[in-house]
Amino acid sequence: MEQSYGIFLYIISLATMGGIYAMLTLGLNIQWGFTGLFNVGIAGFFAIGAYVSAILTTPETTRHLGGFELPYILGFSASMVVTALIAWGVGKVCLRLRSDYLAIATIGIGEIFRLVLKNETWATNGPRGVSMIPKPFESLAEPYNQLMFLALVLVTVVVIYLLIEAACKSPWGRVMTAIRENEPAARAAGKNVERFRMEAFVIGCMIMGLAGAFTAQYLKFIDPNATELTTTTFLVWVMLIVGGSANNKGAILGAFVMWTVWSASEILTSRLPDDMAIRTAYVRIFLIGLALQIMLQKFPGGIIPEKRPKPSRSPE
Amino acid sequence: MNKLLALPVAATAALSLSAGVFAGEINVGSVAGVTGPIAELVAPIVAGRNLAAEHVNDQGGLLGGDSLNMILADSACDPKAGVDAGGKVVNVEQVVAVVGASCSGATNGMVQSVTIPAGVVNVSDSATAPSITDLEDNDLVFRVAPSDAYQGAALAKLAYDSGSRNLAMTYSNDDYNAGIAQVFEQSFTEMGGTITANQAHEPNKASYRSELSTLANGEPDGLALFAYYGSSGIAIIRNSLENALFDKFFAADGMFDVSVIEQIGADNLKGNIQITQSASDYNDVSYQTWAELYKATGNDPKAPYAAHGYDATFLIALAIEKAGAADRSKIAAALREVANAPGEIVRPGEWEKAKALIAEGKDINYEGATGNVDFDGNGDVAGIYGVNTVADDGTWANELIK
Repeated sequence: MEQSYGIFLYIISLATMGGIYAMLTLGLNIQWGFTGLFNVGIAGFFAIGAYVSAILTTPETTRHLGGFELPYILGFSASMVVTALIAWGVGKVCLRLRSDYLAIATIGIGEIFRLVLKNETWATNGPRGVSMIPKPFESLAEPYNQLMFLALVLVTVVVIYLLIEAACKSPWGRVMTAIRENEPAARAAGKNVERFRMEAFVIGCMIMGLAGAFTAQYLKFIDPNATELTTTTFLVWVMLIVGGSANNKGAILGAFVMWTVWSASEILTSRLPDDMAIRTAYVRIFLIGLALQIMLQKFPGGIIPEKRPKPSRSPE
Repeated sequence: MNKLLALPVAATAALSLSAGVFAGEINVGSVAGVTGPIAELVAPIVAGRNLAAEHVNDQGGLLGGDSLNMILADSACDPKAGVDAGGKVVNVEQVVAVVGASCSGATNGMVQSVTIPAGVVNVSDSATAPSITDLEDNDLVFRVAPSDAYQGAALAKLAYDSGSRNLAMTYSNDDYNAGIAQVFEQSFTEMGGTITANQAHEPNKASYRSELSTLANGEPDGLALFAYYGSSGIAIIRNSLENALFDKFFAADGMFDVSVIEQIGADNLKGNIQITQSASDYNDVSYQTWAELYKATGNDPKAPYAAHGYDATFLIALAIEKAGAADRSKIAAALREVANAPGEIVRPGEWEKAKALIAEGKDINYEGATGNVDFDGNGDVAGIYGVNTVADDGTWANELIK
């Protein structure tokens, strides 16, 4: 009984983190999947969202900027607004670049944001992090507090999914795909390519910022280590590619599947003798790489590959 | 004949059956930053934790003979991974208490998000951030590693007493080193010393020459260095000596390792480096007993926080025994009783004795490898510090700071 209740609680936490990662993959999907923007600066936007929400919702302390104690809804909204504004500035500078060059620029900018947040100690408490962040519904009894938080995450994922689905089926989404597939053709059709690319970039980053805010609230603590690239950039990319780039269902599925592999594999490795368990901790990282290799080699479209929307009037 | 045989056989069968019923496993979480930035420090700490579990299991086990089973989980020094690892040991493995989770950040996230809400005791063996003291923890968060606030002050006093008045300082920009550095700066200036320059550095750079030449401006007497030896400390000392920028160093325990002497050379360091260490009193019986036992596992007893790992685990075992049941809710209260005076003194490795005393209903007071491990109201220990200098034979010599 105890055991099964414990596993039930673990599944809730698994789904919560999976849901947060689904926001990240959906954000990336708008940028990479639909528009073809190679953004490797996810960690930076994630970090901005996390810190904005953390600073706005924590009680007063001498360790960092704060004491605003705003409700979490405002923290979430503010983190989206701030990330969007910053993404707009970044986009102004970087979006002229194409493919690999954009990737190099965004990874650099993402790192700059992370280093700024790490070094502006007066605002963020530097490497020591922001602690005692309130978590929505935490005053409820277990397991309702965790279930409600999970519900909040899942509702957010569903809302984002429906909005993006609608957007991608609309003419707006078709322009995005046109830009990804053949930019000169889109330009020739009279589309303002720069504006569309900017819109995709800003909206994607905004969702990443929201995911950061959810993470801060969920962990009740945020520090620079939580925005480390392996788990906030590369893992997100792997999730999107495994799930199915340019397919929103695939993006969500990839997030849940890969997070489960990442997290639950440890339940098996911790059963091993300790000196082996210490080594197998690295095997989990290897597993992620292996999954990526297999998917790229065998199923380049991902678990659920892209489905092109059918023309609304079939030419008969 | 058959009947005569049958009786003892049946008796043995009944006994082994009853033993099978009662002798189970009691799980304790062992959360550590196995991967990530401090991976090299973590293996000896985990060895310390496991040694404690081994002592318990070899000397009669917990309660009615249950074995203490340490469940390892990786916090990767990342609060996300820490919360995930904590959730796994607390919920899936149903541990009764948790040791860990190595880094302060991972610990901070894990206790706030998982162990405190679940009502599970956490004893940290290496998280030293002062912010952990302030948590509203329902008396569930303990640590045998002293808060940085103590070590920074101890090092400042040491530097001041050795005659230095003007020091430059640099710290690796991570939670641990930045924290000690902050307290050091504050204490040193309060004593009347001057910090001529203070600069953070990023670890894992090939060279620190430019940082060091900036720091050397203003004629400081020496450099206060807060870093991990592997990721930046050794490189900084080497660059300083090569360019004749600094020859006197004060450092905290992230710098303590034999490889510092091996790579820089004892002659270069003799008389010029002092490293504080959240240590043990090396002349204390408890420490010596433990060090012998730990050495037998093939590890260096002076490894940072290895002794803390042992004490944290041993204390949890004592608390379970004292509580009389593998019951999450009873462990916190029992933990204070077994750790703090009064009571008959129990030292590392003495599980059998402790078990007998608890069975007789006597109070015990664990005196660990790291000191007397008496918890204060916040679940913190005061800790003792040693200072390491290079001895004539080219090894580290440790002396206790009074």
